Amino acid sequence: MSYILNRVFSMMLTLFLISAITFAVTNILPGDVAMMIMGTQSNPEALAGLRETLGLNDPLLVQYGRWIGGMLTGDWGSSLVFKEPIAPLLVQKMTASGLLVLFSMAIALTCAVPLGVWAAVHANRWQDTAASSTAMLGVSLPDFFWGIMLILLFARGLGWLPSSGFVDPAEDLGAAIRHALLPSLALGLGLMAHLTRMTRATMTGILKQEFIRVARAKGLNEGTVVWRYGLANAVGPVMTVAGLQVGYLFGSIIVIESLFNYTGMGWLTYQALLNRDIPLIQASVFVIAAVVMLANLIVDLLYAVVDPRIRLS
Amino acid sequence: MKVPPAFRSTKGILGTAIVLIVLSIAILAPILIPADWATRMDMRARLSPPTWAHPMGTDQLGRDLMFRVLLGAQTSIFIAAAAVLMSIVIGLPLGLISGYMGRTTDNVLMRLVDTLLSFPALLLALTISAILGPNLQNTIIAIGIAFTPFLARIIRGEALRVAQMPYVEAARTAGNSDLRLITLHILPNIMPAVIVQATISLAFAILAEAGLSFLGLGTQPPDASWGLMIQASRDYLDRAPWTALVPGAAVALTVLGLNMFGDALRDALDPRTRGAA
Amino acid sequence: MKRRDFLKTTSALMGGTVLYGLTGPAQAQSEPVRGGTLIWGHSETTQNLDMHQTGTASTGRVLQNVHDSIVTVDQDLNVIPNLAESFEQSEDGLTYTFRLRPGVMFHNGKTLTSADVKYSFDRCRNPDTGAVNFEVFNAVDSIETPDDLTVIVTLTSVNAPFLSRLAENGAGVVMPEGSGDEQGNTPVGCGPFRFVRREFGNEVELERFDDYWGGPAYLDRIIAREITEPTVRLTGLRTGELHMINDIPADRIAEIEGADDLQVVSWFPLNWDFVNFNHEFEPFKNPKVREAFDHMIDKDVLLEGALWGQGAVTASPSYPTSASFNSDLGQRPQDIEKAKALLAEAGYGPNELSVVFKVTTNYPYHVEAAQIMLEWFRMAGVDASIEQLTWSDWLSQVWVDKDFQISMMNFFTLWEPDFLYYSLWNTEGAFNYRKISHPQVDALTAKARVTVDPTERAAIYKDVQQIIHDDTLDVVLWFRNGTIGAQPAVQGLDTIVHPNGSNLRFHKVWLAEA
Repeated sequence: MSYILNRVFSMMLTLFLISAITFAVTNILPGDVAMMIMGTQSNPEALAGLRETLGLNDPLLVQYGRWIGGMLTGDWGSSLVFKEPIAPLLVQKMTASGLLVLFSMAIALTCAVPLGVWAAVHANRWQDTAASSTAMLGVSLPDFFWGIMLILLFARGLGWLPSSGFVDPAEDLGAAIRHALLPSLALGLGLMAHLTRMTRATMTGILKQEFIRVARAKGLNEGTVVWRYGLANAVGPVMTVAGLQVGYLFGSIIVIESLFNYTGMGWLTYQALLNRDIPLIQASVFVIAAVVMLANLIVDLLYAVVDPRIRLS
Repeated sequence: MKVPPAFRSTKGILGTAIVLIVLSIAILAPILIPADWATRMDMRARLSPPTWAHPMGTDQLGRDLMFRVLLGAQTSIFIAAAAVLMSIVIGLPLGLISGYMGRTTDNVLMRLVDTLLSFPALLLALTISAILGPNLQNTIIAIGIAFTPFLARIIRGEALRVAQMPYVEAARTAGNSDLRLITLHILPNIMPAVIVQATISLAFAILAEAGLSFLGLGTQPPDASWGLMIQASRDYLDRAPWTALVPGAAVALTVLGLNMFGDALRDALDPRTRGAA
Repeated sequence: MKRRDFLKTTSALMGGTVLYGLTGPAQAQSEPVRGGTLIWGHSETTQNLDMHQTGTASTGRVLQNVHDSIVTVDQDLNVIPNLAESFEQSEDGLTYTFRLRPGVMFHNGKTLTSADVKYSFDRCRNPDTGAVNFEVFNAVDSIETPDDLTVIVTLTSVNAPFLSRLAENGAGVVMPEGSGDEQGNTPVGCGPFRFVRREFGNEVELERFDDYWGGPAYLDRIIAREITEPTVRLTGLRTGELHMINDIPADRIAEIEGADDLQVVSWFPLNWDFVNFNHEFEPFKNPKVREAFDHMIDKDVLLEGALWGQGAVTASPSYPTSASFNSDLGQRPQDIEKAKALLAEAGYGPNELSVVFKVTTNYPYHVEAAQIMLEWFRMAGVDASIEQLTWSDWLSQVWVDKDFQISMMNFFTLWEPDFLYYSLWNTEGAFNYRKISHPQVDALTAKARVTVDPTERAAIYKDVQQIIHDDTLDVVLWFRNGTIGAQPAVQGLDTIVHPNGSNLRFHKVWLAEA
């Protein structure tokens, strides 16, 4: 229990650090949003007026105070370029990206775990070589290249799936899934390869351990040994790696969502960055970092629950 | 010299071969091929499929993709190598101090590193690149900084492990200074892990450079870089898929080679983790 | 016939935008029918929806259907009544009296009165609003509303372009009194369509406003899907997911025109492009160096290379059908040897001059154009490199800080010549980011501002163009074509392009029964 409390306290501290870093970094971005709103139609007087209206002329500390205060009281402000309130926008875009992350995680795990176990069971035989080489190729291709291949094959070539766009699951669940499928695959293939390698390595280690030998000696059926005893012990480490990959996924979605015109968090953050829409950059970067941190925390806590050492004792 | 067994595996041989080939292309291509062959345009041969005149086809401005991909190797590899070097130069002392000193220093440093690790590396690189502006040098800095927390974390773990070993304890009781302990006893023992990590990071850095260029923030045209070439191919995908396939294959092959080489290197240098991913 | 010749002949004959043509199988159905939802694949993401504050063409294109301006222009770019059913200018050119159309309804159910006009104009001229077209009202002394349907605007000095500037929504829009704060994300106007919602980054939905003063539109609803990837937009049109798209990828137009199941509307100009020199960068202070760079550029090849030929080269940036278009002006031909000689005369031998070309990724064809020009610059012995900037970086470095050597930009529809020439080439001009300071141009553009006679004004602007060309203040390249691709069922496409060439109007567009 104290372990959990400790973790939660340290999370609060990290959150605060994240907010400070986010604020500091976004404020040294060159250029400003007033210019972006007006574009090439702008002139100095109008720019000055707009800057004042947007509160860009206040001292930094005042802006930080206003931001932190707003975040704590649930007032996340409005995007300067798009004039949309930020909080509902983030909820909407996080849902979109959450769909991608969940899908790609599901795709990756359902394929990677059996494949990795299979390779480990047949360690150093052709099955292992085949699985390992495929996985190696998988981690070597950039995910946007996977994306391009998938578009060429499934959207342009076969015409099975849409190559771009986002549909709100609340509006049309079927269409939402169809639109999320290709970007999720693009994200998931690399991840799958990585997790396959991880599962194989962990399982190879476990299968050499004493308790497996004991289980086999007891005359237990090989399937039970591998899947019940072996895999149970591999779940922890594999899950930890999977959890750590959430951060990697949230980096990849920037490129993938831009490629698929999938308007989620990655797309939003990139747009905000391009537009120097400071409140939107701050909020979205903060939320991404917080989600990544939370994912890692959850994995840590789950790990404490399923830790094989705790189980065996 | 005796070849370690790990390098006698198919993986090791293949990985080493690919890395050597790509490295020699990166070094030799700019010497053997005139630089302007990568930027020379031919408006009558735009988006030409592979032909005898252009064995890998041409791009939207009629530039030869084979020369672009060969000359682009230098850019991509140089950026990746410099960025990884930079993250080691910053991450090594950070990780060493943190792992060796422990206690408050470790706590503070690792809290900072953990915080930075909450920001996806690509997002970090993208933001830094937006702050500094897009050019070769800034791309290196952006990727270098983005990779540092990760390296620092790994080095710290290694340093912590080595610092607790009996012989280090013995050296400490013998009255060696901290600096001496770190440089003479700990550093040499963590170098294998650092080298393995650097090889793997190199593969990631090539992917990151490609990603940044893909978003328009890396290498500047008309110079060729693989990411930039893939980016330019986006609008012509269905008409001229080779414009994406050629640079995509170059990235894949290089990263594949580096990964296999890295695996073999790990097996050879660090038997403890043999077989681990 | 070359496009250039085509341009010269048609500009004399036709007004407004030149409709190159409408190809494809429009379903023959004479009587417009009411109903249906049109799905439009829009090429850009809409931003701040406040008509006063937004300077982006994408947003203006959508809002054209939500708002209406006090006056407007016909196909010949003459100012004609709109929300004002009549207007008059006093003898001294200082007072404008607008008689408003009675019974015009806003989408919020209120009736338009002179108070709304005053509110809108005051909001635009208030510096705190941050309105893009704020300077249109610079010379305004007072705005009076003697009764519900009369607005009298008094100026302190003659401002010849004033009325024309009110013919576009940027300055001439009439919003309901007090609606300013909500305009940013829920715009309210009195146009033919009512704003329903925006799912940010995905789509904007408009629905027919039945009480529109000009008669209700045909379409029930317009859904503008924001699809920024050109090839994706095209695929959507092909698969029938979209009824129409704007901005067909340049390299695919010929192919779509050839397809017998799609219509293509193409017109010009959508916008025009030019190459810019920073006049305070030492080498470019010398007109010979600027002329040398002009001689390095083959405009026809560049147009082919960057835009797959989708446009028409021009030396005059004036709207091709306007009175001020100087058709006698020709572009300098490419002559690398002459360019080298001019550089040598200016004291720059081979490889002694090095320049950085800053170009924005916001216009991918600018990046292509810059790469092509770079080859020519290098052939002429100039050591040149490219720095590609995001839109915000380009705006801050080039537009605001004027920190560049060579750049390239395009402008939409500055058909009003004062807006064009004063803003861009006068020393005091708001768009003079090249730090150009040419006494003759200054004098002429100032004179045109107070010249009321249209023929006299046009003559002055022709002289200005001659100077811009002779002294190579910038290198004007071409007018770019606008294109729309549509399904056969989409009708009334001949009315869709606003005379300014940039905005799209859906008032008279209808969907035939499939």
